[in-house]
Amino acid sequence: MNAKYAQHRLIIWFTRAWNVLGAVNIRAKILGIVLGLVVLMGVAATIEVRLLLERTLTSQIYERSVAVGRDLAARATDLVLMQDYYGLFRLLRDTQINNPDVRYAFIIDSEGTIVAHTFGRGFPVGLRDANTVTAQEHHRSILLTTDEGDIWDTAVPIFDGRAGIARVGLSLAAREQTVTAVTGQLLLTTFMVAAIGITAAAFLTWILTRPILQLVELTKAVAQGDFSQRARRWADDEIGALTDAFNAMSEALAQAERERHEREQMRTQYVAQIITAQEEERKRIARELHDSTSQALTSLLVGLRSLADRYRLPDLKQQVDDLRGIVGQVLNDLHVLARQLRPSVLDDLGLAAALQRYVADCRARSKLTIDLALIGLDNVRLMPVVETALYRIVQEALTNVIRHAHATTASVVIERRSDRIRAIIEDDGCGFDPDTTHGDGHLGLNGIRERAELLNGQLIIESAPGHGTTLYVEIPLPPTSEDCDEPHFTG
Amino acid sequence: MSRILLVDDHAVLRAGLRLLLNSQPDLQVVGEAEDVRTALHQATVLQPDLILLDLSLTGGSGLAAIPSFQKAAPCARILVLTMHDDEGYVRQALATGAHGYVLKRAADTELIAAIRAVLRGELYIHPALTRQLLEGILPQPPSLSSWESLSDREREVLLLVARGYTAAEIANQLSLSPKTVETYRTRGMEKLGLRSRAALVQYALDHNLLIPN
Repeated sequence: MNAKYAQHRLIIWFTRAWNVLGAVNIRAKILGIVLGLVVLMGVAATIEVRLLLERTLTSQIYERSVAVGRDLAARATDLVLMQDYYGLFRLLRDTQINNPDVRYAFIIDSEGTIVAHTFGRGFPVGLRDANTVTAQEHHRSILLTTDEGDIWDTAVPIFDGRAGIARVGLSLAAREQTVTAVTGQLLLTTFMVAAIGITAAAFLTWILTRPILQLVELTKAVAQGDFSQRARRWADDEIGALTDAFNAMSEALAQAERERHEREQMRTQYVAQIITAQEEERKRIARELHDSTSQALTSLLVGLRSLADRYRLPDLKQQVDDLRGIVGQVLNDLHVLARQLRPSVLDDLGLAAALQRYVADCRARSKLTIDLALIGLDNVRLMPVVETALYRIVQEALTNVIRHAHATTASVVIERRSDRIRAIIEDDGCGFDPDTTHGDGHLGLNGIRERAELLNGQLIIESAPGHGTTLYVEIPLPPTSEDCDEPHFTG
Repeated sequence: MSRILLVDDHAVLRAGLRLLLNSQPDLQVVGEAEDVRTALHQATVLQPDLILLDLSLTGGSGLAAIPSFQKAAPCARILVLTMHDDEGYVRQALATGAHGYVLKRAADTELIAAIRAVLRGELYIHPALTRQLLEGILPQPPSLSSWESLSDREREVLLLVARGYTAAEIANQLSLSPKTVETYRTRGMEKLGLRSRAALVQYALDHNLLIPN
């Protein structure tokens, strides 16, 4: 339980630390790593060298103290035996002069009396008994800790112990100086290496991050749909490979985008052709119905009338009247059919007349109240494609309203300005959510959008369940149109 | 005896009409033409009392040719006989000088009466078309309140609606929520007694409220 809790805490701490460290940018990370390593190395090396140096120097001084002690003992033998105290004193002086590390030296005779020493003012208390050596020993060294620092004190028996003992003390002060000097040198080196390291690391991170930052910029450009930019390849490493991959991806995306655009254009052209062909076909059939079929039926009507007038037989008259009724009905149906296919009024008189007629027809065949307002369309003809598109858009929109909206009132507003024409079709019906109901069941809306976009126009839908629907269609008009008057807003 | 020029591009129909009209004691078909050019020539030469004119002819619209017929035969009455039952055609035909407008589907029943009426100097229009023509002069329901009685906000919103702005655009422009815009619009239209956007636009047009700023 406790272990689990501790593990949990650890994970939390690690996550927190990573949240902080991970957010630091790459430059700081690399600099931090380099600096940390250099300092760590420097400090570790310094400590290691210090320890090693201390040990080496200590043993060196120890060996020297033994050598000096033995040398002193050898050379002092005669002088001690001759009791030449002045000679001993000079020997001690010479020893001290030849070895600056020798802090002190003194000779103890076989009775234990100090016969010569290098201390100018009195012999330190207790020093004599601090170290001693037996006749059988070669020498004995101990490390004395004094208020002047550590001292290797070596005692060597003179003439196998029969003439006394020679003692020397070698100071370790030189060791301290050397170690301090080397430490300082090492720390200075560490600092300089750190400085060089930081510079190198800064340069390195610049080299590393420059292509990455460039790739980030390019990625942003690609996200915004600009596939034209290419990343420069700085080096032949992993980032270079990434750059190559990125450029290849950009190229592929650009290619895909071009192809998509081409396909879209082809589709648009295709749709435009289909729509044009459909309108032409409808126009042709409507004309045909009007000009040939209807005329023939009218002839039939007139002929039947003449027949009835000429032969005034009651039976015949009744039958001829019936026939006239049928022909009249067929003629009517044909006329309606032709108008539904494509109203000739649209071609002959223009959008305003055609819409007035169409709205009147809608009013007649549905219970819907439809208001129509036309602005800037009096005595104005637009380009045939625009007129056809707007007529079909209104037709499609009102068909939708009648079929799906369950509305009581609809309204159509067409307003022409100098540079654009706007159609607004609104109803007070059930409405829908334009964001979710996109496409399914609203093919009519897609048709409207398609027609508007073919003319560089757009469709805006505002609707909400229970709040009716408003379609805004706006189509730009070419600046040099052949309109015969200026639009006026005051009616 | 009134002399009639038949202008129709359908030969069988012309034959039928000639048979029908010639069977009337007071009418006589003196000429026929199937396109505008021939018809104008005939009219100049024959100077008929009445020209029975179809609107869609081969080689040009009969509608556009009405003034030319008037010039060619100034004394002739012009009666349009056509398939087209749109108000627009009627208006334009009458505006350019026609004296009557008969639909072909009534050729067997009303044509003779129409010809006689036009010859008498009357204006004849097919009964089904008169309502459309006269719609404009029928009384409009009066608006309930005046424009001035609306609040400033209501007037602002209604003007923008009439100018064709989307609800989102209006909300944005007036720094209101779309719901508030909707409320102002509904309230304002109720006060004015208007039932739809088109009615509002028409109201604004009639009251000269849409002068661009």
